[in-house]
Amino acid sequence: MAIRDDFEVVAGQVRTVVQRFALGLLVVAAFVIMLIGKADTVLVEHARVVALDFASPVLEAIARPVAYANRAIADLKEFASLREENARLREENSRLLAWQTAARRLENENEGLRGLANFREGPEASFITARIVGDSVSAYVRGALLNVGRQVGVAPGQAVVTGEGLAGRIAEVGDNSARVLFVTDVNSRLPVLIERTRERAILAGDNSPRLRLTLLQSVAGVQRGDRIVTSGHGGSFPVGIPVGEVVETSEGGVRVRPFADFSRLEFVRVVDYGVTGLVGGTGSSQPVAPMPGQKAR
Amino acid sequence: MRADGALAALDRWGRAALPGSVLLFFVLLTLAPLRAPYLSDTLPLLPALVVFQFSLATPERLPGPLLLAMGVLLDLLLGGPGAPVGVSALGFVLIRAAVVANRRYLVGVPFLFQWVGFCILMFGFVALVWAFTTLWTWTAIDPVPALMQYIVTVVIYPLLAPLLARVRARDPLNVPELSRGTARPGETTS
Repeated sequence: MAIRDDFEVVAGQVRTVVQRFALGLLVVAAFVIMLIGKADTVLVEHARVVALDFASPVLEAIARPVAYANRAIADLKEFASLREENARLREENSRLLAWQTAARRLENENEGLRGLANFREGPEASFITARIVGDSVSAYVRGALLNVGRQVGVAPGQAVVTGEGLAGRIAEVGDNSARVLFVTDVNSRLPVLIERTRERAILAGDNSPRLRLTLLQSVAGVQRGDRIVTSGHGGSFPVGIPVGEVVETSEGGVRVRPFADFSRLEFVRVVDYGVTGLVGGTGSSQPVAPMPGQKAR
Repeated sequence: MRADGALAALDRWGRAALPGSVLLFFVLLTLAPLRAPYLSDTLPLLPALVVFQFSLATPERLPGPLLLAMGVLLDLLLGGPGAPVGVSALGFVLIRAAVVANRRYLVGVPFLFQWVGFCILMFGFVALVWAFTTLWTWTAIDPVPALMQYIVTVVIYPLLAPLLARVRARDPLNVPELSRGTARPGETTS
């Protein structure tokens, strides 16, 4: 009896000590985790991928109700502006039809010229269509989770495009999930060309809706409305994917509005480009043309 | 003495697991691609709200190590490359500690006081995460989105808090007085 009492007293003391220092221990543990994350980035990336693969099925499960909710919200919003939207779409449709004609003509011409010049086409880009199952948008990150992964050939660094233009690049890949880092993320740096002047620059995100054009050789050549396309330098990005247009040129810098509408992304396409090389015209025309039809369905 | 029997055991287990499960649900919900304006921005802060609310009600069922694990999971899921992993865990643990230390001012007081307490603690949490992220990545991160997130979270707290508190309010009624255990570490501090 006495031994048991003693034991309980000691156990109680131990419990008190642990309780007293519990907070300190937990805080220290959190700091240790942070330091490990800073020191061993490979380990952290691995842990992220595991966490993504764990969360992906759950997100798939709640995707349907979330989609319903989103549709309801979008319906409410669109109902108010149905007429304007209709008019805008009709106008856009006629404009696009004109472009389609131009594109067909140019494609034929291009093919003919390539035949004449004995031009060797680079590797053909193939596309993996993916659904966005999760957002990783917070005050610090701009990204999304996709429901495709290594099993279908997604690899880090591949470009992610929407119907409108480039959305971002694949940052992490799990077995059946992948994380896209949007071009607007603060970690995003993208080698681009200004379409009109063919000048190279770097497009950097800063978590705001507008992108910053840096490392320009001369700011003077840039005008409002200039289209920015990927340059294909230094990576597996195809050349000429539209990214955005210049909306502001000032002393402070050049601001670019991305074409992709990140607030209503549902499906995106991962560009599987094989190795580095030159895609030429197909890189720019393919992601643009078929997508609007898919979205309308 | 505990009331034995399969149902009672199940009941105990369910109740013990509830706060953790709700927290896990909200951690996973942060990734849900909800497109509601303003609301979707607050999703990353909702786990912190859950931690606050359950720390008020039943801190013993939300032990520190669990919070640590949940915080790390949240950081892993939410963060892009370079984001600090573990800062949410630190924030969660500190929120729980702050709530437990100030139970006197937060439990059994008018709702307005709880709200004010929530505002203060949440501001600390947001500031902590922002400061660590800025230091960790060594880039000037615009604090305005974080502030917007904070404001919206504070505004929707009165909508969500009663819902979470309801989960707790049933607990003493459901459990026969005798079957409740004596060891409730969270309670001993007040």
